[in-house]
Amino acid sequence: MSYKIAIASSDSENINETFGSAKSFVIYEVSDGVCKKSEERICTTEEKVTKNNCNSKVCGNSDGCGSSCGGYGEPSAKVEIISDCRAVVCKKIGFHIRKQLERKAISAFDVSCTIDEALDKITFYYNRIDRHESLRK
Amino acid sequence: MAKLLDKQRYKCALGAMQTVQAITRAIPVLHSGPGCAQKLSDSIGSSGYFSPNIFPCTSINEKDVVFGGVKKLDTTISNALKVIDADLYVVLTGCIPEIVGDDTGEVISRYQDAEKPVIYASTAGFKGNNYKGHEQVIDAIIDQYLEKADEKEKGLVNIWADVPYQDLFWLGNIRELENLISELGLIPNTIFGYQRGISNIERIPKAEFNLLVSPWVSVGNMKKMEKKLGIPYLHYPTLPIGAYETSKFLREVGKFARVDEQKVESIINEHEKYYYYLIERYADMFLETRVMAKQFSVVADAQYALGITKFLVNDLGLVPAKQFITDDTPKAFQEQIKAEFENLNYGLKAEVNFETDSYKIHNEIQSHDYHGYPLILGSYYEKEITEDMFGHFLNISWPVQDKVVLDDFYVGYTGGIRLIEDIYSVAVQRWN
Repeated sequence: MSYKIAIASSDSENINETFGSAKSFVIYEVSDGVCKKSEERICTTEEKVTKNNCNSKVCGNSDGCGSSCGGYGEPSAKVEIISDCRAVVCKKIGFHIRKQLERKAISAFDVSCTIDEALDKITFYYNRIDRHESLRK
Repeated sequence: MAKLLDKQRYKCALGAMQTVQAITRAIPVLHSGPGCAQKLSDSIGSSGYFSPNIFPCTSINEKDVVFGGVKKLDTTISNALKVIDADLYVVLTGCIPEIVGDDTGEVISRYQDAEKPVIYASTAGFKGNNYKGHEQVIDAIIDQYLEKADEKEKGLVNIWADVPYQDLFWLGNIRELENLISELGLIPNTIFGYQRGISNIERIPKAEFNLLVSPWVSVGNMKKMEKKLGIPYLHYPTLPIGAYETSKFLREVGKFARVDEQKVESIINEHEKYYYYLIERYADMFLETRVMAKQFSVVADAQYALGITKFLVNDLGLVPAKQFITDDTPKAFQEQIKAEFENLNYGLKAEVNFETDSYKIHNEIQSHDYHGYPLILGSYYEKEITEDMFGHFLNISWPVQDKVVLDDFYVGYTGGIRLIEDIYSVAVQRWN
């Protein structure tokens, strides 16, 4: 089984961009446990920072509103361009974007480490769970 | 084939957070997923100091599974130390961190110099149920907190019984055990419940001996204390309910603690006189209801199955049908417990089944001829089936849904009377 992982990095070595600040995503393709860099996707449109699109007076929870209004902000163009990925790795990620990714079944990992380390750990994890094996090392 | 087990009768090892909760001013710090504690918390009373809803929890998610949850654990503990005023912080690990291999012990070691003690217990669900989890917490206290005492306090006895909250009557039971031990002239020390806590934990090593009243839970803890703290132990496997067993219990403890035999006998005599006075007054009622329930079954954990069976046979002269032990008793203890069931008065023997599958238990109850209305003492799951059989039902083991118990108890002479009251209250309702 093959899948893609999107990485937010400005130097192609470390995960050093937040989801919001990333100007591009490096896409790695993992096929039969082998991980290869496949392409870079540039984010063309500037992201507007919209917390959510609900009327704060109605839902009474203007920041990161939860279950009451059901909206998690404008659909992000960035989420769209990585919508075929299984996971996205970046330094930090906001709550409303995380929710949008969740709806598309994309896992979000906010970590600060090298790309190699992150890819090693994530592919190890997916390899095991795809084969229904325990994560015990 | 994988088995689906509905109607669970115990929880996973992380349920040991109730053991921590029962120690006043001790707080569990959970290294687990966010749903674990929510599912495990019962509405059967909190510690009186901390609500179970504020237990600090690492709430680990997918990221922590992939990248490790150690960092989160570290911040959770350090922040818990800052914002929660507790005497003892017990980190409990759930399944996920144990599977992915978080080194909890290493994180805890960073807190050796913290102002308050921080210890940890491995309570992954795959390691066993909450009876095991309870043992793990006590083990953690022994291993990581207690040190051997230079001198002993004369007459001091640590009392250990079954699992708090899992045992509905835990608080009342342990207090009544304390009362009985005090009457012998000994000084009881327990760590659970009101006005007990860290100071009682600190007294543990000074005790002359440990008294364990449980068929199997905590036997391992007693052995550990014997080895590390040099405290010998007396293991009394039967929960003493009613006059016969309680007198036997007092004699045995008296003998172990070298209490003057005459003193023990006079205490017993005093209690028994009042006990049998009460029984005598209601002798008519017992005879009349005899027609209604000749045989009984207990469906409970080992302590109640054994304690109540002995009480109903030895004190009330009822005849045991099959008994069911539902706490997943470790194999090593099963033979020993079985032997206890064969050691009843009047040459009676009770057959006992170690079974956690309610379907099988209910089938057996239904197919048995109780020679009249059955008397079933069990968990709430047995209520419906007993009603179908027009029997008498009393909810004594977890889960308990038709009764509120604050500090009621079944231990001792008074406890036996309470149990009689409860059983015959059910029985007399048939007439009125």
